[in-house]
Amino acid sequence: MLPIVAYLDKLTVAPGERLAVMAGSFGAHTYRADLRRIIQGDTNPQGPGYKDEAIALDLGGERPAEAKGFYPGSCVVVPGRGMLSNLDDFTLAAVASPTLLDERERTVIAMPGFARIGIDAEGHVFAEALGRRLATTGRVTRNMWHVLSLAYSGGDGRLTLSISAESDAAGEDGQLEAISVPATAAPSGATEILIAATRGPNGRPGTFFDGKIDRPALFSAAVAHDTLRRLLADFERLSRTRNLRAAWDFSRKISTQTICDVSPFQLHGRIHNAPARAMTGWLWKGQDLDWKKRPDLYSAIHFHSTDMYDAAWTVDFTFTVPEGLGSGVYAVRLVPDGDEEAAYYCVFALRPPREQASGNTVAFLFPTCSYLAYANHRLGMDVPGTEIGMGRAVELDRHHMFLQANPGIGFSVYETHDDESGVFHSSRLRPIVDLQPKVRSFLGGFGSNVWQFNADTHILGWLDHIGQHYDVITDEDLHAEGLQLLGRYNVILTGTHPEYHTGNMIAALQGFTDRGGRLMYLGGNGFYWVVSFSEDMPGIMECRRSEAGIRPWEPGHGQFYHAFTGEYGGLWRRNGRPPNHLCGVGMTSQGFDICEPYVLSPAARDPRAAFIFEGLSKTAKIGDFGLAGGGAAGLEVDRADAAQGTPAHALVLASSTRHTDIYLMTPEDLLDPTPDWSGTQADIIRADLTFFETAGGGAVFSTGSIAWAGSMAWNGYENEIAYITANVLRRFDNPDRFRMPGGREDGQPVETRSTES
Amino acid sequence: MGRYQLSANDLQFAREFLASPIGYHSPGLQRVLNRMRGADWAFKYVLVVERRHARWRLGRMPLKRGSAIEMVEDVVYTDLLEAERDIFRRRWKDLTARPLDLGSDDAA
Ligand SMILES: [Fe+2]
Repeated sequence: MLPIVAYLDKLTVAPGERLAVMAGSFGAHTYRADLRRIIQGDTNPQGPGYKDEAIALDLGGERPAEAKGFYPGSCVVVPGRGMLSNLDDFTLAAVASPTLLDERERTVIAMPGFARIGIDAEGHVFAEALGRRLATTGRVTRNMWHVLSLAYSGGDGRLTLSISAESDAAGEDGQLEAISVPATAAPSGATEILIAATRGPNGRPGTFFDGKIDRPALFSAAVAHDTLRRLLADFERLSRTRNLRAAWDFSRKISTQTICDVSPFQLHGRIHNAPARAMTGWLWKGQDLDWKKRPDLYSAIHFHSTDMYDAAWTVDFTFTVPEGLGSGVYAVRLVPDGDEEAAYYCVFALRPPREQASGNTVAFLFPTCSYLAYANHRLGMDVPGTEIGMGRAVELDRHHMFLQANPGIGFSVYETHDDESGVFHSSRLRPIVDLQPKVRSFLGGFGSNVWQFNADTHILGWLDHIGQHYDVITDEDLHAEGLQLLGRYNVILTGTHPEYHTGNMIAALQGFTDRGGRLMYLGGNGFYWVVSFSEDMPGIMECRRSEAGIRPWEPGHGQFYHAFTGEYGGLWRRNGRPPNHLCGVGMTSQGFDICEPYVLSPAARDPRAAFIFEGLSKTAKIGDFGLAGGGAAGLEVDRADAAQGTPAHALVLASSTRHTDIYLMTPEDLLDPTPDWSGTQADIIRADLTFFETAGGGAVFSTGSIAWAGSMAWNGYENEIAYITANVLRRFDNPDRFRMPGGREDGQPVETRSTES
Repeated sequence: MGRYQLSANDLQFAREFLASPIGYHSPGLQRVLNRMRGADWAFKYVLVVERRHARWRLGRMPLKRGSAIEMVEDVVYTDLLEAERDIFRRRWKDLTARPLDLGSDDAA
């Protein structure tokens, strides 16, 4: 397994800036750190060989390796600010819909040391206060709303726990159960309120609730359950109720970590570990599907005992990245107990200086959004179908064994939580054990079986091999700086699988190619999903997989809009930015067993494409070899399609002409499932090697295949796939404008063409 | 899931698989593999990497997330195709309650 794991406070840094290193021991006693430049991370003996480079920078000597843990689970914490005393009479209440009931006791709302309502291991609602514990005889039902209240009246000296189940059937009153015991008033020593958890003996939140909670409230009087139900249903009346101490409306400030109290006391709180906000609440019955239009209906938070935002490890050390160091991909390497084989790599991008261009005209767009989407993914472990998709048994590398033993590290957006709801968030403020060189994966095809970062090092290794100077910029940099950053370059190269993009990023890339920039899309299934960053929570990303796309889960009815930005989640293709428009091709199929060559089409002889094949003897097939599944076309493949926005003048230079029957259609194209949509039967299942010019003098070259880079790295980067890529890079880096075919130029009227495919 | 039952009619596909475990398969073999690799198992056979690209041990991964992976004693592979063939034989036995017997053409 991994004796030491670690993370940095950033994935991108400029020269002269500081990085903090947080390391946790999982067996190591000591470690030494050094800085490496990562050149090629694939250790396949058939490949070009692992390559990194030591950077002469003293990161200190031997350090003790401290054990650090993972503490997942989300909740709300509300500091009491002195307002939680004088509660001789009180009512504590919440509306809750549990999504997971198991052998664990769970807390719905707690005033630690004073009162608590929860659900026990058998599904009974329980309450604790004034030295008494009560429990209902009835059990709660999964995915059903229940109003829970605990009230104490000094007048009759009784403590009462009431629950009503709120049936979704129209107009039916909830069934009520109430239990009452005699009790004597006692002062509240509570200093805080926790929602969906209580304070554990170790001082951390614990006994987390899995499910939705809506409008928790505290009153300084005993409120009858029926009255309470009516009050909770109407925030305007509730907020004016004289004995209200606090009531939290989760529909306010949805895009932030802040939780708003609607009482005059303003007992505001904060979320912990990023639960899902903008979730349908108790009163949502399908009236609207967009939380921005009816935020009042989106008054629930979905909490999970498995949510994770910030591991919050203590800092081991910080260091300044030297001013003179060139832009590139680097790693802080931690070698535990002198064992280099067990080294952990904290990978980061050293971007060019912020204020001035480096002079490089080529940049590699380091796809941190896609790395985050897959961060610590468990596809081969949690998803039984992965083995069918791979066409062979799942391999578990050391980091997978670590993930299996430490699910608390938090998930990727490919997983579901323990209650089977989708994971909307992925964060970089925790170790990302698959963002390392050398690691094997699940989906990389028979051969090297590398994925995302480690697969992208085939491109970095090739750039090093051809002696190309380049900068590395990340998705986060592009999101923040947009076209201003891209404007420094002639050419942007993507990674092998740049699947996830924010609106800012897509707009910047489109603006870049429209204005004369050159884009080399060296991957597959690119520009597919919408993701959002939070202005209030650095380092976390949201993804809601709405309506279509190959996806491990759906976000739930009425929950398709992102909480961070209000954007409609799902495919860019459904949001007015189809990948075909930006790069000529868009996702068509996937299979993770073997890959295929491309067969040249007549368009490859078009004079417009002559520079691409310069110096190559034109064989009928290209890329009948490679480290990823033995061919250049495969894993995830994209097709040109005018109906999806491929420019009419785009040249499809070559296409794969068959795939195994593991390759099937995407749901967005498989409108009517019939058994002929498979790789040996359907022509639509193919990778299209595509080139087109833009009206602004720019150009786009797209491989439409994740496996392309695995072929670039074949035979020590000496092969026709690598040569084609080099030809394109050379011409793209030449500022001479590309001319549109048929004389369509910037400033001239653009001919309207039909978009028949 | 799991409706398809393996029978003696599938022996031809077992032969096909052992000859070429990875790549293009007949529809009949693909159906056998879907049954073997599908979701309805209490555990999955997995290859635990001992040395990348060189040495694997056979493990059984339980369904529940975070469960310990049981190592199958004394099973070590140095070739992924051999590992596939061995896992196929194990599953054939698990699903039919009989060892895979291909008669005289069972080369392996
Ligand atoms: Fe993907």
